[in-house]
Amino acid sequence: MNRFKLSRYWAFQLAGWGTFALINSFFAYSFDKLRDPQDVQLFLGRLGIFVALGLLATHLMRYAIIKLNILQKAFERQILEFILVTFCISFLASFFNMELLSNFGWLNKGEKEVLNKNLFLLILSGVFNFFVYFFIWNLIYFTYHYVSKSRKQQMDTLQLEKLVKELELKTIKAHINPHFIFNSLNSIRALIDENPSRARNAITELSNILRSSMRAEKGETVSFDQELKIVKDYLALENMRFEDRLQVEYDIEETTLGQQVPPMMLQTLVENAIKHGISKQINGGLVKVISEIHDNYHTLAVQNTGYINGSINKKGFGIPSTEDRLLLLYGPKARFEIKQINDALVEAKVVIPVSQNQN
Amino acid sequence: MRAIIIDDERLARAELRKLLQEFPEIEIVDEAANAEEGLTKIEQHHPELIFLDIQMPGKTGFEMLSELDRAPHVVFTTAYDEYALKAFEVNALDYLLKPIEPRRLADAIQKLHNMEPVPTGHNGSAGAENKSLLTEDHQVFVKDGERCWFVKLSEIRLFESVGNYAKVFFSTHKPLILKSLNALEERLDEKVFFRANRKHIVNLRMIDKIEPYFNGGLLLELKGGEKIEVSRRQTVKFKEMMSL
Repeated sequence: MNRFKLSRYWAFQLAGWGTFALINSFFAYSFDKLRDPQDVQLFLGRLGIFVALGLLATHLMRYAIIKLNILQKAFERQILEFILVTFCISFLASFFNMELLSNFGWLNKGEKEVLNKNLFLLILSGVFNFFVYFFIWNLIYFTYHYVSKSRKQQMDTLQLEKLVKELELKTIKAHINPHFIFNSLNSIRALIDENPSRARNAITELSNILRSSMRAEKGETVSFDQELKIVKDYLALENMRFEDRLQVEYDIEETTLGQQVPPMMLQTLVENAIKHGISKQINGGLVKVISEIHDNYHTLAVQNTGYINGSINKKGFGIPSTEDRLLLLYGPKARFEIKQINDALVEAKVVIPVSQNQN
Repeated sequence: MRAIIIDDERLARAELRKLLQEFPEIEIVDEAANAEEGLTKIEQHHPELIFLDIQMPGKTGFEMLSELDRAPHVVFTTAYDEYALKAFEVNALDYLLKPIEPRRLADAIQKLHNMEPVPTGHNGSAGAENKSLLTEDHQVFVKDGERCWFVKLSEIRLFESVGNYAKVFFSTHKPLILKSLNALEERLDEKVFFRANRKHIVNLRMIDKIEPYFNGGLLLELKGGEKIEVSRRQTVKFKEMMSL
């Protein structure tokens, strides 16, 4: 990529200055200025110095533009700095131009006259000459980068939109595991004979979860009260499946019930606790749901019996989707972590800012 | 047909038991709540059929099967959808999706009737003399990473020793199993499976060509194109067996 850009830059450079030299030669020839060999030598010498200095100076100018990071600055500033840089470089180029010309003795009549009066004036007149060309050069450089930048921005925006869509889809899909639904339905069928009233409750619990997961697709946040109901229904269903292999505990601060939380986020944490913790242990274990407020931050935590074995399989824990959702909703103010808190308990924790519109 | 149900959820086992009441030919001899328990109960009862949940605490159903010396008929019961199951790439997989549809269960059982019985080593006097000997008709469950197969011993051409593992050659596959060649040799029927050298056990029915080799040994070419050298000591034994 870098190499390619570089070669494209040099192609532009050489083509530009080449064209400049050709046009000049063409005019010199058609205005009959190249009659005797001395004239030809003078013309070619002057043109050669001009083009060589032009190439060198513009290359130096590009270096300055990149070093000063002008392209990334605000528009007005860009213009100002462009003109300043162009002027400085023109001055430099003009100075060397006159130096070289007088060294080789290629100054023309007018220049010699001015030189006799004031060197500075001569250089200044050269500055104007160079400035025009360098300004055109900069115009092309600026436009080229402006166009390619805006095209890249378009691509970036498209990519971002795609990512957001994907995320939305993923979170919706991640809400309820079909495996869970079918296992629950299977248990309910067994309960119909064994314990009809428990079976009826289970159907209500399952429909609550299904309904809220459909609702979750729309809203950005829900009240924690609502979310907790879903989690309780969910854990009641899992309790039906795992029976005495699953113990559930709640440690909920009353004040947190009115908080706004991202829908199905706590639910996902609880589901992961079951999937990676309880269902892997032959003797099952404990799931504890914690909600508390500290220093204007609302902490939602789920602890479960189990071990984080070696590296956490990030995909499996639904970590990226939870992290991405938090980032979209709260920016850097929210965080998510999962860690081993003692030799038997794993804790997944979401910390979000306390919601503003709370009464 | 004697069967065991292996599933970590009591209600799931109860439900399947109830559904199976419709099929008096299936006799549920026991239940297990996880893979370890499953292994013990299979050793104990030698069932012809197991109903097996895939996701269980400790070990998955697949992992449990790959630890068995010989696999009975297996019907998987799972809440996964068909799509998710394809990821496991199990050949000849018979599975029931939970909640189980009674008609699908009837189909699965019908299919079992049409299949030749898998010897289990439980019934008949032949099993009594050496109940751990595996014959050609036995099937084994082979798991290699995500891929799994039920393989009849008669389809296996060759076992090759690779450290503590053995590479099993059948069809176009050659997965590894965690069994030493010596342990395998003890269990395999020596009339069919012949220890050609330190590293190889070949299926005699899968030999395509026999050529003389250095030092009075032999070179066997198997139907899959594998060339196996028979050591000089084993060549004597090999000739004896073949002349019978």
